[in-house]
Amino acid sequence: MTMNQSDERKDDKMNIGLSVSQRDVLQTRLRELRDTTPPREVWQKIEAQARAEGLFQARYFETVKWLAGTGIAAAVVLAVLNIPVTPMIDGGQREFSGTPSIAEVDNSGPANLNALMVRSQQIERDLRALPGQPRMVRASTAATIVHLEDQIAAIDYRLNHPAYRLTPVDAEIYWRERVRLMNSLLNLRTAQAQRMAF
Amino acid sequence: MSKFTDIQIDPAIVKRAARGDAKAHEIIYRAFSAPVYSVCLRFTRVPAQAEDLLQDTYIEVIRSISGFRGEAPLGMWIRRIAISKALMFLRSAWHSRGQSLDDDWEEMTFESRASPTHSARQDQAMDLDAALASLPEISRVVVWLHDVEGFTHKEIAEQMGKTESFSKSQLSRAYQRLRPMLDAEIEHADAKSGMQESVLGSC
Repeated sequence: MTMNQSDERKDDKMNIGLSVSQRDVLQTRLRELRDTTPPREVWQKIEAQARAEGLFQARYFETVKWLAGTGIAAAVVLAVLNIPVTPMIDGGQREFSGTPSIAEVDNSGPANLNALMVRSQQIERDLRALPGQPRMVRASTAATIVHLEDQIAAIDYRLNHPAYRLTPVDAEIYWRERVRLMNSLLNLRTAQAQRMAF
Repeated sequence: MSKFTDIQIDPAIVKRAARGDAKAHEIIYRAFSAPVYSVCLRFTRVPAQAEDLLQDTYIEVIRSISGFRGEAPLGMWIRRIAISKALMFLRSAWHSRGQSLDDDWEEMTFESRASPTHSARQDQAMDLDAALASLPEISRVVVWLHDVEGFTHKEIAEQMGKTESFSKSQLSRAYQRLRPMLDAEIEHADAKSGMQESVLGSC
């Protein structure tokens, strides 16, 4: 607090017109007043308005798209050049979270990786072709969509970030998971678009 | 300071919100919705208007949070937006009613100015919210900003587009109105502690 602000506060206290005890009682009682909880639907209105104005999706999808684009580029370089790199980070600690199971990568190989990238691009095109999200969205649907988008963004980060030097096999694990999540997102958004049509 | 400063939000959640993450925004909203709504409700006294102001405030939070630098607590930042929105709304309402900021007290009836009887004081002591509600709108806002949010007269004057003298005069008139209730509260507390002392003395 500056000297001026301190003087202003002192000046305020001198001009209150209440005794110290009256002022103490007033301030104590005012602060004890209970807060009122707003009706639940206020958040739904805020969420609907924010989505309609693109305040949630715009920034988030921009990030996802950017990461997806650079992720594709990085993975293509790895796959085409077949660079012999290790997935070790910071002294050899493999740092995966939500890693897809090994059972999902039985058919690994460069052809598969390319197919997964093509499939991923195709789903992105399909998603872009869908109409925008409705103004009113069920809370559970919105939460699931956000969760899927979070997971996709996390995978794109792994595919893109230079610290995560993925082998083609690791890249394929992530691309497979990406396709699975994108598929789920597409199904959800398609169902949403169908509900809007009725 | 009000409850805004008591609420702590994980910086990681704030960062996610700045990226446009809806879930992070919902977490922040759930944490601050009651204090924001309560301030708006105390200013306007109309739940529907307070809900609109809460919505406006939070939409502004979503729009601007990417510019929030974390130099002050998030709660202070949200509080500033909420108060600014509420005052903007009140100024516009006063303007549309053709009401001057200075004549607020003139609208009060004789009955509402009358000093309460002693018997009524005990009840009043327990209901500060009702006493606040009985104040003219502008004075109520000034009392809240001064005694709960800790604003100086200079800050109040800036927020309301008036002079410091205006703020002081509104506060002084509001205090005159609240003083009997505060005295009753003090008398009540003194009597209670006197009784406790006499009980202890007889033991």
